[in-house]
Parts: sequence; structure tokens; C-alpha cells
Amino acid sequence: MFKKLLVANRGEIAIRIMRSAQELGIKTVAIFEETDKTALHIMRADEAICIGSGPRKDYLNIDRIIQAARATGAEAIHPGYGFLAENPNFSKECTTAGLTFIGPPSQVILDMGSKVIARDIMRRAGIPVIAGTRILPPGEEGEHEAVEFAKECDFPIMIKAVAGGGGRGIRTAYGMTELIRGIKTARSEAQMAFGNDDVYLEQGLVRPRHVEVQVLADEHGNVIHLGTRNCSIQRRHQKMIEIAPAFLPAPLLDAICDTAVRAARASNYVNAGTVEFLLDQDDRFYFLEVNTRLQVEHTVTEMITGVDIVREQIRIAAGEHISFRQDEISFRGTSIELRITAEDPKGNFTPSPGVIQIYQTPGGHGTRLDGAVYQGYEIPRYYDSMLVKLTVYGFTWREAVDRLRRSLDGFVIAGVKTTIPYYKQIVQDPDFIEQRFDTSFIETHQHLLDYLEDVPEVEKLASLVAEINAYGYNPYAEA
Amino acid sequence: MAESRPIGAGMSKEEIFHVLRTLPGYFLTNNERDVSQSDFKCRIMPQTTLKVAPYRDATHYFAFEIGGGACVHVDLIRKQIDPFEKLRLVRKAMPNTLLQVSCRGRNLFGYRPYPDNVLRLTVRLFSKYIDVWRIYDFMNHVPNLRVVCEEVKKAGKILMPCICFSTGTGHTDEFYVAKVGEILRTLGEDIILCIKNHSAVGSPKRISELVRSIRQAFPNLLLSYHGHNTDGNDLARMVAAVQEGVKIVEVSDHGFGAIYSQAPALSLIQNLRDYGHTTPGLQIQPLVDASDMLRRERRLYEIFESPYRGFDPTVKRHKLTGGAASIAFEQAEKLGLLERMHEVFADLIQVNREMGNIWSVTPGSQILWTTAVNNVLHGRYEKPSDDLKRLLLGRYGPFPFYEPQDWIYQKVLEHNRKDGKKWFEILNEEAGLQKLNDENLDEKREQLKQELKRSVNDEELCLFLQFPRDSVEYFRFEERFGKAWMLPPEIWFKRGGFADGTRITFSDYGGKTHHIDVISTRRSGEDVHTSLLVDYRFQTYANKVSSRETGGRVN
Repeated sequence: MFKKLLVANRGEIAIRIMRSAQELGIKTVAIFEETDKTALHIMRADEAICIGSGPRKDYLNIDRIIQAARATGAEAIHPGYGFLAENPNFSKECTTAGLTFIGPPSQVILDMGSKVIARDIMRRAGIPVIAGTRILPPGEEGEHEAVEFAKECDFPIMIKAVAGGGGRGIRTAYGMTELIRGIKTARSEAQMAFGNDDVYLEQGLVRPRHVEVQVLADEHGNVIHLGTRNCSIQRRHQKMIEIAPAFLPAPLLDAICDTAVRAARASNYVNAGTVEFLLDQDDRFYFLEVNTRLQVEHTVTEMITGVDIVREQIRIAAGEHISFRQDEISFRGTSIELRITAEDPKGNFTPSPGVIQIYQTPGGHGTRLDGAVYQGYEIPRYYDSMLVKLTVYGFTWREAVDRLRRSLDGFVIAGVKTTIPYYKQIVQDPDFIEQRFDTSFIETHQHLLDYLEDVPEVEKLASLVAEINAYGYNPYAEA
Repeated sequence: MAESRPIGAGMSKEEIFHVLRTLPGYFLTNNERDVSQSDFKCRIMPQTTLKVAPYRDATHYFAFEIGGGACVHVDLIRKQIDPFEKLRLVRKAMPNTLLQVSCRGRNLFGYRPYPDNVLRLTVRLFSKYIDVWRIYDFMNHVPNLRVVCEEVKKAGKILMPCICFSTGTGHTDEFYVAKVGEILRTLGEDIILCIKNHSAVGSPKRISELVRSIRQAFPNLLLSYHGHNTDGNDLARMVAAVQEGVKIVEVSDHGFGAIYSQAPALSLIQNLRDYGHTTPGLQIQPLVDASDMLRRERRLYEIFESPYRGFDPTVKRHKLTGGAASIAFEQAEKLGLLERMHEVFADLIQVNREMGNIWSVTPGSQILWTTAVNNVLHGRYEKPSDDLKRLLLGRYGPFPFYEPQDWIYQKVLEHNRKDGKKWFEILNEEAGLQKLNDENLDEKREQLKQELKRSVNDEELCLFLQFPRDSVEYFRFEERFGKAWMLPPEIWFKRGGFADGTRITFSDYGGKTHHIDVISTRRSGEDVHTSLLVDYRFQTYANKVSSRETGGRVN
């Protein structure tokens, strides 16, 4: 087993990885940019090293991160999610530098990173994929091919960036004009976001559900799944609420999990990954993509299986076997995870940077927090606005929803706007409570944004008392 | 057993008028609004009012004046309370007593005239809580009262139009009787006519004569008297007024009333008892209990009382209204004019005379006072204010007795005039009352919605129409800090910071008690970190405060 692990990430995921590493007796190294020097993950690591002035560019600088690993004597690097997690070059450079990359091999990341290659691999393995095109050729030829595709199948049609991910680089066309215009826009966005303007088309499904399967694979040929997750509640293709399990009928559940294992094998997968599917209204499922990294929402799977996925990732990377056989994995209860961010839902979810003046969190049975902030922390404007992930467990769906509501009520966060009041609306919505949701939920429940800011009166008055104290007089009573 | 309440909330206007006309004796109105405005710079906080409310409600006053005057504006800018919310709180705390407001006619609760639709909306909304509308125009120009009074009558509330009273040239019984006649013809006879002696002028004899003359001319007219005790003589004037048949007089609590506001209720009751006049249903014990409580509260407001104390019999000459007289010395001190106060007052007396011997009450009192101060500082009429120009242009109404001399018109109207027009040309072309166009209420509501980024109710719109900038600042304050009225006054007005271990206790809307305990204060440069236990939850608040902002004060 490794003695020292460098976490090539920041925020809650860096801390979450460090916890598992520390449980395995592995020393942890945090990296940070100068603009991120007050981040909590630095305080949680055994040691920390600054990799540059930032912002953002140094967390993406492979050379500097490898240098940091060498300088600190780390033997392995965990990329977390985002940043370099799905960059095949990072995995490759780590290997070249004699460091263990905790994730799949470079070629797997490369193959699965191209949605078109991934679809080909899956198609060859007999895995159902949604009808789609190859990479569209540039210019008029590509547009012609798009028109022909549109004639063969109904709208909507999804325009997808080949290198896209995390919900970016996706557009939906409901007509021919929109399709042609969308291809141009998607190309330009993809070029900006991923440095690659290749796009392809897929048949769009009407109000599909988003279901994914967590898989673990070791280098000894063992592949198991850890069940399903429903990630249908999304805003602009970005997941907001994730649930495990996906509550599928038994035959469908078995079929989709077996398919995920087959997909992992077909792609020579090693380490933890997620195979994503779309389910149509008739419960037919189609391969969507493979995420070759730890998912934000892995916590819900951990809650219902009891498996520490990061611990397994580290063990697999160290050449060990997966700790469990498939038949040793059991699924119990329901788990729901929310991403609580410093954003203003009423202001189109714009980031709300600032100092966190109050930070009090819920606890108790079935409540798990993966946080990255503390009272007095100034949220830097350069990074994502995630404050904390709230994951709850309930023996039943209803118990999980009740616990989620209670846990949200237990948060007291002042100084920045958060998505908590919006989530409170969602968890009280009858459609959510009755599990009537698909990917259109946020769009069709706009009224949930019409909430009042819920700061207890006494908290507001306390901040006024603090101000009177700071000034030595009441600036609102005296000129 | 307590005597029954002859007049109270829930009675119809007709029932109340019937009691006033038929029941022997006189009634008292407790004017906390004017006490707060004239003696405490409008700073009496709702917590104090609510604390003493049960006693006042049990006293069986005719009415309790709690709104209007300058208080609406100060509620927003210095007390950070929604004036409507204050009325709701008081209504709940004093369910049996009529609530009264003082209104400046077309100027409502401000200093400039408002368009008709703003006047109507305001009266309609305030009438949800207000039973008695005491309304005056500082030029005694009755047409200026018409729109507001029409709306009060529409709302079915008690209309109490005032004649502003003063002394000197023109201020004869004939003038005032004619003015009362004009009011009755314009506004109807179902009113209570208020004699508004804002400047505490006139002897008891003069008040007797005035009341007698009015009653001789209009024997069925119900009269009330609103005076100030600036010269220390209002008790005698009230005694005289009641003896001549005034039915309602305005008073203060003896634990609270000071110099520039109303004289104390109990002193008046004791005086008039010897003359055989009684107050039907009035309860003495709660009146005394209220003052006992207010005496203790009064210490919290000491910083807002005038440091220049003592009665001022010279008010007979300078005629400053109670609220203006109380702050005159302080304003002069701020301007470095304290040593020249005799010059300011001498000039003020002259300005009064030169400005047609009009009534020195808001906004006139501010215009006259500012003119006198500017005259002393810059030379006579060398730096006229815009409001003085408006006064000379007749924007507030015509001069009732005589007009200023030509040289004053010339100095004031030609000052900074870029088109080179002469004063008489300006008068010819621009003088007179101006009809203000109605506001586009939908547009204003949309504007406020944009400002606040949320929906807006009628009461918020009403405040925005009257005080556009200050109301928005208040709404933002409330969004950030909540209902500041819940804090005790000693916290609201705290100076010098809080000592570690200070406990702040207050109740919320639902009656739940809350505690905020001050744990520590840590200063580092401009950063101040205050750690508090808020209902037993530990929280630290960070504020950036420069030494300039603290005004040199230290914790």
C-alpha cells in the first residue's frame, strides 16, 4: 500500500479522499494555488504544497502537480473529479513519472472521453445505444448529414460535443433551423470549453430518466456493480439531486446493472467508474456515457451499500483485489444527495461569493456532510461554488425525504446566498415526495423558485447587534 | 369597579359624535407622537410604546396620537420601522383606544405637496389603522385640506381639521371665525375643529376669547385644542379652553412630557376638577402607572433630549413651534452660531414679520428658521432657500394678511436667476398654487419592484411615493436585519459597544423570548469580529469598520 498520496484537487472531494486515505494509514498531500490558500482541504491534509499563483490554471498544470508529488514524496495521485480527472494525458504522465494514478488507465479515459468512440465500443459489445451520427464533418457536409439524420428520426435531436462532459456542450434542437444553428453554436462552445469543436447528433428522448450504475473493476479481471442512482433532477444538464437506488423494477434493474458490468469489461475498465443510461417512457434504456472518475454523487451509493468507494479506488490502484464479491454486496434503504452551493437561485443561480459569517450544520442519524467551508471562510470567486454536499439515508424513500427536510432545516449559513431555500421548496413539493420526477422536473417546477429568504429573525437581529457593537454606535439610528 | 369607557375603538363616527355632544365634561388625547417629536427628536421606540400600551389603553383616553408629523419619515430613516407596521403593533396593543394621526394637508407627512392620487392612496391605506385624522395647512389655506379630508370622510373616519393659531397683526377673532366658516363650508359640518397652538402663544385670556368667539358663531361645532408647553403656560391655556367649551385637549404623560410638547394630563385634571370639570370614564390609576413606567424608560432617550432646557417665554416673539424650538439651540451650536443666538432670534422675529406674519409650523417653521439663520450667516436674504422662493411664489398658498415687501421679492426671486427676469415678471408668470399631475402608480410600483427585485405591496408603494430614496433604504435594511423594533431601545441606541457578557433579551411576534449573549469582541485593524450566542448558538460576525466610521468612538 502507498505511504503517501497527493490529492490533485480541492474542496470537498479533496477532503473526502483524504479521509479514506488517512483511514488506510496513508499520509496525504494537499496542493493549492495562492488564490486558494485559505481552503479547508489544506488544513485537513498532513502536508500541503503551493503549486502556483492560480487561479485555476495551476490546478490544471500537470507538470506542476507531478513536481509537487515528487517534491513531497507522494507515490500516488488521486485526481478527484473535475480539473484533470478525465484528462488521459494526466494519467499517462503520472505513469511515466513513476506515480500511480488512482483511476482508469489512460487509454480507457481516452476512449470513454470520446463519446463517439465510446458509443462504438458499446455498440460492438451489444449494448443498446441511442441512434446517432458519427462525428459530423465540418461545414456544409456536416450540416447535410445532420439534415439526413433528422429526416430519419423525430425531433428532438441532441447536439453533443464529442469531448463534452458535466452537462456542458449539449444542445437540444426541436426543428431543422434550430438544428443547423445549434450545430454552429455547439461547435463554437465546444471549441471554447474543450479545445475540440467536434460534435455529433443523438436522437433525443422525451422526458427521459437519467439512471447510472456505479462499477468497480480491478486489474485482476473482477468487475462488480454497486447498484443504480437516479440523477434525473438536473438544471441545464447539471445534476442537482441524486438518489440511490433508482427504484427500477427487478428485471430492468438486473438488466441495466449487468449491462453496466458488460460495458466496463468491454472498455477494459479498471478502478471506479460510472456507466450512465437514459430510460425512455417505456423503460427502454440506452447507453449514454461512462464517467471515468469518482462521481460527486458517489456518496449515495456508499450510504446504501456501506462500501467506501474511495478506499476501494486506492486499494485497486495499489494492485489489490476488490474487497467484495458481487454477491456480498447488498442494497438497503434509500439515500439522497444535494449539492449545496453558494449561488442565488432567484438570480439565475449566479455565484454568491463572500465571507461565510455563520456556518452551522445539521447532524444526527442518517445525515452525512461532505463540506469544504468553515465559519469566517471567504469563498473565492475563482472556483466552483460548492459549499457542502448533504447526503441522507432513510430506511424508506419517505424516511429519507423527511430526513432531508430536517437536515436542510438544520443548516444556518449567513453571509452568502445558498441553494438551501430552493432545496427546501423541492423537498416539500408533492411531485418530489411522490417520486414523480424526470429530467424536466426543474423546468416544469419553476414556481419552486418563488420562495422567501428564510433567515430567522433572531439571526438578522444578531447581525445588527454585531454591527452596533463594531461601530460603537448604531449607524442606522444616528447620522 | 372601573367606570365604563364612553368612547372607544369599534364605535361608529356618529356614536362618538353623539357622546361628545351629549356627555358633560371634557376628553383627553394622549399625544405621544408630539412628545416624541418635540422633546425626543422623534426617537421614542415602539418597544417603549408597546410596554406602556396596556396602561394607556386602560386610561380611557379619547384618542392616542401615534402617527404623522415628522415621525413617519423618522420611523424610516432613524428607527428603521415600517410606519404601517408600527400602527399594526399599536392597534394590537391598544385595541380599545382610537388612534390619531397628524397630517400636514397636501404635504402629508413630508415637506412638499404631493399629487392628488398620492394623497388619496396614503389616506386610504393609513385609515386601515387610524380613527382620527388631525389635519392642518401651515398657511391655513383651506383648499389645501380638501383632497385629504375628502378621502378621510370616504374612509368613514373622524375628521379633525385645524386652524393654525398665532398672534400679532391679522390674527384676530374675526379672521379665525371666518376661517372656521370656510372650513365648515368646504369640508362639511361633521367634523371636530382643532385649534392648533403649535407655537405655544397667546395667553389663557386670548384662548378664552378665541374659543368663545368660535362657539358663538358655531355653537354646535365640536372643538379640540392642541397646544405646546414651550412657555410653561399651556396648562392655563387648556384650562381656559375647556372652561369655554373645548371638548378635547391634548396632553402628555407626566412621566414623559417635557418642555416643548404637551403639558401633563394629571396636572390638567387636577386643575380642572376644582373648576367642576370632569373627564368622563378616565381612569387615574393606569395613567399614573403609565408615567411610573415611562419615567424609567425616559433615561434611555436622554441623549435625544435638548441639552438646552428650561421653559422659553420668548416663544411669544419668535414663535417657533415646539419641535423646532427644542432643536434650535443645538442646530445653532452645530453651525457655530450659539454665541449669536440673540441675533438669530432677532432676525427670526423680523423674518416672521416680513413674511406676512404667517404660522410658524412645518414646513413654514423650517422655512422661516432657515431664512433667519442664512440671514445671520450670509446677510439678509442674500442666500435664500428654494423653499423660501416657493413660499414667495405662492406655491403653498396666498399670504393671508399682507405680502412681503418688494425688495424681499427682488432679493429672493432674482437670486441665481439665469434668465435675467425681474421679480415682478417672475411673479406674473410663475406665481400661484400649481396643480401637480398624478403619479403613474403602475410605473412607480414597477420601479420599486426593480429596485427591490421582489413584488411590492400597496403600503410599500405608498411609502416609496412619499420618500423614494429613504423608503428603499429602509426596505433593504429590513431585508438584511429584520424587524429592528423588536430590539429594546437601550440596544438600538447603544453607544460604546457591548461589554462581554451582555445579555440582550427580547420577544418576537409570536411572544417567544430570544437571547443574544455577547461573548467577545476582537479587533484587528478595521476588522471587528463579534462573537455572540444567539439563542444559545455560537456565531461570529465580521464587520469592517474604519476609524473614521466609528467617529473616534472606541469600545
